[in-house]
Amino acid sequence: MRIRTIMSFIVGVASISSMLLLNADEAAKAHTFVVSASYVRAAPAGLDDPLWKTAQAFQLLVEGREPVVGANGTVTTRALYTDKHLYFLLKWKDPTHSITKQSWRFDGQNWHHLEGNEDRIALLFEITRINKFATRGCAITCHSPADVSRKDWKFATKSDDEKGDLWHWKAARSAPYGYADDAWLTVAGNPTGSYRETGRRKDVGAGGDIKNQTQDKSRPLYMQDPAIEPSVPGFLLMEEAVKITDYSVFKTGDTIPYRLPVKPSGSRFDVKATSRYADGGWMVMFSRKLDTGHEDDVVFNLKKRYSFALAVFDNSGSEHSKATEPMTLIFSP
Amino acid sequence: MIKSKRNQPDTLSEMLALDDIIARIKSLRVPGDALTWHRFSGSLLLVLLVLLFLSGAFMSFYYSPAPGIAYDSVDYALYSLPFGDVIKGVHYYSWNVLLVVMGLHLARAFVVGAYKSPRQLVWVSGVMIMLLIPASIITGDLLPWDQDGFWTTQVRISIIASVPFVGDLIVRLVQGGSLTGIVALTRFYVLHILFLPLFLVFLVVIHFHFLRQRGLSASWDKEHSNRQTISFFPQFVNRWLLLFLTVTAVLGLISWYWPAPLGDPADPTDSTFVPRPEWWVLFLNQLVTVFKGSLTLIGSIIIPGGLVALLIALPFLDTSSDRRPASRKKVMLFAGIIAIIWVGLSIMGYVQHFNGTHS
Repeated sequence: MRIRTIMSFIVGVASISSMLLLNADEAAKAHTFVVSASYVRAAPAGLDDPLWKTAQAFQLLVEGREPVVGANGTVTTRALYTDKHLYFLLKWKDPTHSITKQSWRFDGQNWHHLEGNEDRIALLFEITRINKFATRGCAITCHSPADVSRKDWKFATKSDDEKGDLWHWKAARSAPYGYADDAWLTVAGNPTGSYRETGRRKDVGAGGDIKNQTQDKSRPLYMQDPAIEPSVPGFLLMEEAVKITDYSVFKTGDTIPYRLPVKPSGSRFDVKATSRYADGGWMVMFSRKLDTGHEDDVVFNLKKRYSFALAVFDNSGSEHSKATEPMTLIFSP
Repeated sequence: MIKSKRNQPDTLSEMLALDDIIARIKSLRVPGDALTWHRFSGSLLLVLLVLLFLSGAFMSFYYSPAPGIAYDSVDYALYSLPFGDVIKGVHYYSWNVLLVVMGLHLARAFVVGAYKSPRQLVWVSGVMIMLLIPASIITGDLLPWDQDGFWTTQVRISIIASVPFVGDLIVRLVQGGSLTGIVALTRFYVLHILFLPLFLVFLVVIHFHFLRQRGLSASWDKEHSNRQTISFFPQFVNRWLLLFLTVTAVLGLISWYWPAPLGDPADPTDSTFVPRPEWWVLFLNQLVTVFKGSLTLIGSIIIPGGLVALLIALPFLDTSSDRRPASRKKVMLFAGIIAIIWVGLSIMGYVQHFNGTHS
């Protein structure tokens, strides 16, 4: 009787112990897509540097959100890093070369905005952990809050502790100065008197653009300074612009850019970008210090993995985009 | 004993009244092969346990057992603290190596028949320690609050809940409610850093007690030969310290170059996440895969439980005095078959879960 009791106890303990060991799974797992950055001693010199061939090419699926549902595509992504910098080479198809962003056109009597807008690409990293960003990506920050209608979505995080780092390359507004507008993400607010609440905040420093329009918004306010040769043909940089004093000099069909890029500086100018439109698509190279020393930037630790998401905007001035699922960036040795 | 003529203690040990204990330790003798180049698994296990305790203690200084914050605290300790990745890595690699060495230790004891009289309870206490280690790993898995740890725990909890009659009760005790939240995390944390280590130390002491009383096993053909002995202190202790320093350095270097993994933060609403089984449960995992539906209990409870019960009961089932493997053909054959099945199922599990089916 005693032996039987002892054996029953042993079997009971053994059963519970072995149950605890179990870790069953049968279905395929939805792990996030991993983009691996390869180490190089020297920085890639540009878009066509053979160094890029040493980096693995990842095909990142971007899926269209409303109102471009079904407009899917891929962004071919390569990543390299040196001891000091991280580099991305991003390549995607875009049938329309959109860089005008509603430029002004004179019809002989009045000024009108052209229809073309702007191509863009944006990367979002976490500066501090954003709740569920690693598993939901843009659905947490761009479609937020998820339980309200689309028109009320805000690009924001839910708490002050959650901060994102946004690298926003804009074909009409940041490309002329060779950078991606560096911003950061926090809870929604309206500290700058914007037309809507948003969680997007500019990094410290100058940059961005100003709207080239008179107070009544009927015509452009600035034109290229005749005394300065345009440093970026086709664009009107704010530092090379002068106020228009005599509108009679314009003739029918003349165009003037509507958005004037402002010379970037400071933390806002941390993400350098080189770009080219060719063969029906964009190719953009980003470079940024692993650690900029700025509080409004993510610090890249080579041993750590980083959740991020990416979105491309085709001829878009709004949030209409194609975005990836959340992904993970790692640094391979 | 106080030696001074003025009845004043001359040394610190006398002052602390430890001189008798120190004298007894110095007079202790242990077998010369207790820790040698060809026999070190027991001592190595102790080294790994000490490393686990030390690294765990350091990590606990920075850990906060609250969902979300737990992940941030581990992330901070791992990537922002100087040598935080090394300490976490030493903890991580220690338990992985511990499982391997424990298996080898057990296999050796089995082959040389070390479980036989008079060392039955040395074996039983060793098996009990072996069962406690996975419990420590399981409770530790949840603590970083990452996807793998969280969802692995969910799977384990669901299996426990499927046990007739007592499953729900056990789950409520472990989890503290119907969901894995702050209460569950706190309970896992307390179990991991307090109760399980205390129980483990208790079992290790018991194991050493029986070892001391029953003697260290020798090879089957050397049992009655005259074994050389060495002093416990300083000879054996010095050997052990050398092993400790070597293992610490090796694991530290490995941790420096290949830090312990930390997955994505746990998202309890992300039910699409299916964790991969850890290498040491591939066999058990595959058993569950083989025995599906109404047979689940066979794969999840009856077979593993039966094996553990057999392991514990082995000294009382194989009672012959002959320790030579050749004289224990049935036991050796049975163990060999189980080992082959174990390895086979583990390989199947590896192929299923790790061989190119996941991104």
